[in-house]
Amino acid sequence: MGRVPELLVKIGEWVKEFSLPGKAGLVVILVVLLVAVLAPYIAVHPHHTSSGPPLSPPGGKHPLGTDELGIDLWAQICYGARVSLLVGLGTALLAGLGGGLIGIVSGYLGGWPDKVLMRLIDIMIVLPDLPVMIVLAAFFGPSLLNIIFVLALFSWVFPARIVRSQILMLKERSYIKSAETYGAGVWYLMWKHLLPEVFPLVAVNMIRLSGRAIVAEAGLSFLGLGDPTSKSWGLIIHHATNFKGIYYTDFWKWWLLYPWLALMIMVISLAFISRELERMVDPRMGR
Amino acid sequence: MTADQYLLEIKNLAITYHAVQPPVKAVDGVSLQLRKGESLGIIGESGCGKSTLALGIMGLIRQGIVEGEIIYKGQNLVGLPEKRLRNYRWKDMAMVFQNSLEVLNPVLSVGEQVGEPLRAHYHLSPMEIDQKVVKLLEMLGLEPEWRHYYPHQLSGGMRQRVLLAMALSCDPELLIVDEPTTSLDPASKNEVLQLLQKLQKKLGFAMILISHDLGAVKKLTTRAMTLYCGRVVEMGITSEVLKNPMHCYTRGLLNSSPNFFRYKDLWGIGGEPPMGGSIAGCAFYPRCCQGEESCSQTRPPLRYVALERMVACHRGGIETFLRAEGMRKKYILKNKEIEAVKGVSLEIKSGEVVALVGESGSGKSTLAHILAGVLPAGAGQVFFKNKKVEGRWATKMLGGMQIIFQDPLSATSHRLKVLEVVREPLDIIKWGSKEEREKEAIKALQKVQLPVSPEFLNRYCYALSGGQRQRLAIARALVTKPKLLIADEVTSMLDPSTQANLLRELKGLQNRHGFAMLYITHDLHLARKIADKVYVMYRGEIVESGVSFEIFENPEHVYTKRLLREAFRDLV
Repeated sequence: MGRVPELLVKIGEWVKEFSLPGKAGLVVILVVLLVAVLAPYIAVHPHHTSSGPPLSPPGGKHPLGTDELGIDLWAQICYGARVSLLVGLGTALLAGLGGGLIGIVSGYLGGWPDKVLMRLIDIMIVLPDLPVMIVLAAFFGPSLLNIIFVLALFSWVFPARIVRSQILMLKERSYIKSAETYGAGVWYLMWKHLLPEVFPLVAVNMIRLSGRAIVAEAGLSFLGLGDPTSKSWGLIIHHATNFKGIYYTDFWKWWLLYPWLALMIMVISLAFISRELERMVDPRMGR
Repeated sequence: MTADQYLLEIKNLAITYHAVQPPVKAVDGVSLQLRKGESLGIIGESGCGKSTLALGIMGLIRQGIVEGEIIYKGQNLVGLPEKRLRNYRWKDMAMVFQNSLEVLNPVLSVGEQVGEPLRAHYHLSPMEIDQKVVKLLEMLGLEPEWRHYYPHQLSGGMRQRVLLAMALSCDPELLIVDEPTTSLDPASKNEVLQLLQKLQKKLGFAMILISHDLGAVKKLTTRAMTLYCGRVVEMGITSEVLKNPMHCYTRGLLNSSPNFFRYKDLWGIGGEPPMGGSIAGCAFYPRCCQGEESCSQTRPPLRYVALERMVACHRGGIETFLRAEGMRKKYILKNKEIEAVKGVSLEIKSGEVVALVGESGSGKSTLAHILAGVLPAGAGQVFFKNKKVEGRWATKMLGGMQIIFQDPLSATSHRLKVLEVVREPLDIIKWGSKEEREKEAIKALQKVQLPVSPEFLNRYCYALSGGQRQRLAIARALVTKPKLLIADEVTSMLDPSTQANLLRELKGLQNRHGFAMLYITHDLHLARKIADKVYVMYRGEIVESGVSFEIFENPEHVYTKRLLREAFRDLV
C-alpha cells in the first residue's frame, strides 16, 4: 500500500513545477470541488424553492440576489457546480477511457480495424457537433446521463487520435517487440506497457475535455435541452435569457453575470491546468 | 566393391586389457576399411584408444583380449599364431612408434636397428644390408654416417627419421604412424610431415596416421576418424571433418587446436573421459553439450549423416538450431522499394557462434528481425530445431530462441524496475512462482555482472546508464535460458572489460551447454575473436560464408577483402 503516499508525493512535485496561472487554476478547481461537495452546508438557502422576494439584487440575505421565482442564486450556483463537475468529469472519463482504449486497439492492431476507426474519427471530426448534439439530446430526452453520453460520443475522438499516434510510436520500441517475442498477448501489453505509457497524455486530454463538456452542457441547457430537474449553470442562464426584457432591466447584472462568471472561471482554470500538464507531459519538453 | 579390394578391413574390433581391474576396453567395436595407397587419420584425446588400435592391427597386444576381425588382404589376422604374424609385420605392415628414447634400443647403433627388420625378413649379406641402410637413411634425409651412432646421440627429429627408416626398410604396403610430430620443434615437425607426404607419394603405401595434432592429420590424410573411448564417433573426408565437424567431440577437439583458430580463445572439452569399462549408452554423453537423458541408455550406431560422413550420435550429430532458406525482405517507402534482404540462407548449429558482419545498412538487423519473427519475412522459411517457425513458439519458451535488439535505451522500458524487466519473459510465459522467477532473474543479472542488491533491483530503468541497460536487456534474454541468441550489436555500449567478461560468459555457455549465438556486429576484431563461423553480408546478400579461420585468413570475395583490410589496417 505504499503507492498512495508515493503518488501524493509525485503529485506534490508536479504542482511545484506549475506556473502561477496553473496554481491559481488548481486552487479554483479545488474550491469549486469543495463548493459542490459541501453545497448543502454552504448554500444557506434551498436551491429549488423560493426563499425571498423575486429578482432582489445582491446583498443582504441573498449575496448574489434571487431569480424571478425568488430562488437564491448563490444556492443555485452551488448546486449547479455539482452538475457541471459531474458532466465534466463523467464525459471526460467516458470519452478519455473509451477513446484511449479505441486508440490503443486501433494503433496496436493496425490493419482494417485501424482504417475503419480512423475514418470514423474523421467523420466525427467534420460533423458539426452542436446541431447533432441538439438533435441527439432532443431525441434521447433531457436527462443528465443522456447528456453525458451524448457529449462523450463527440469527445472520444480526440484522446483516440492522440493515443493512437503514441501507440504507433511505442509499437516500434524494442521492449514492446521483445515482450511480443516472449509471447505477450494484446492484453498483457496493454495493461503492462501501453496504458501506463499513454495515461499521462490521456489524463491531460481528459481535463481539457471536461472543460469542453462543461461548456457544451451549459450550451445545451441554455438552449433548453438540459435536464430541467438539475439546475446547472447553463440552465440558470437559460432561464435568465428567457426572461422577457432582461436587458432592459438591471436583473442581468446578477442573474446572468454570476452563473456566467462561475462558468468562465471554471473553464479557464481547467484550461490553465491542462496547459500546464501538457507542458510537463510533452516529451519534447523533456521529462 | 568387394571386400577383397580393401588392403585392410577391420570389423568390429574390440581390445580389452584385463591386467587391471576392472578390465579396460580400450578399443570398443571399431570397424574401418583402407584401400591401397589411401591415408587415414585417427584423432582423439590421449587415452582414447588410438595407440591400442594401432598395436592391435600390428598384432602386438600382449596383456589383452582381441576380438573381431582384422582382415589384411583377405586374411584374418586375429588369432593367427605369432609365427605367422611375424611374416606380416614389417614386411606388409610396419609401424612407426611414438617417438621416445625408449623405442630404440640404446645399446644398438642406428645402423643395426634399421637393418634389423631386413635381417629378419630377407636373406641378405651384411654388406647388402648396410647398403640398404645407407639408401634408406639417404631417402629420409639423414647423413649415412649417422648409422654408426647410438640413439641417445641423435636429436628428436633425427630419431623420428630413424624410426621411419626402420618402418620403411621392408617396403611395407601399410604404414601405421603413431604421433610422428610430438616433441619436435616446428622446423623438424614440418620436415617430418613433408617427408611422410613425399614418401607416401613415392612409395605408394597406405597410411594410418595417429595423432592429436590436427594440423598433421589435415596435411597428410584424405580421410579422418575420430575415436573416443575406443569407439569411432565420426568418420569422413579429412578436410570436411576438420572444416565442418558433425560430432560434438570432434568439434571440441577442433576448438582446442590453436593451429585452426589463431585468434580465438582455447576451449577444451569439459569433463574427463570415463575410466575404462564398457558404457551402455553414448560414451560421450557425460561431456556432450547437447546430450539428453536417453543418450545414456543405448549405444549410438555409426550412421551416415551426409555424403561420405558417418557419425555415431543419437541426435544425428551436432544439431542444427536455426536454418533459414531464401529469406527476403522488401521495404516499401514513398515511390521507392528497398530490398533489404535478398534471398539469404544460413544455418546455425548447436554450440556455434556465428558472426554476421557487414557495413551498416547491409541488412543485418533486418535479417535478424525476420529470423526471430519480429518482422514478417517477404519470402523464405525459418526452421528452429527442424521445426518451422510460425508465430512465436520458438521465442516464447524456455530453451528457445531469443533476440536482443540493437538500441539498449529502447530495449527496456524506462518505466519499469530492474527486477521487473528481467522477470518479464517468465511473467509472460507464466513460469514457476514469483519467488522462482525472481531467483532466475537474479541469476541472469549476475551473469551479466549487474549488481543484485535490493536497491538496484528496485531502481527504475531510466536511472541506469546505457551500458547497464544493454546488459539488462541481455539478462532479460538469458533468463529463459535460450539455446540460440540472436544478438544485434549487443556489446556496442559496453566498456572493454565488461564486454570481455560478458562474451566469455556466453562462450562458456556455448561450450558447456551447446548454446549458440548469431552475433551481429561490425566490430571485426570481436568477430575474429569469438566467431566459429562467419557470414559476410553486403547489400542484402551473403557474399561469403564459412569457417571463421578461413574467412579471416583467406577472404575470397572482393567486399570481404576490403572489409577486412579496412578493419585491420591500423593494427597490422
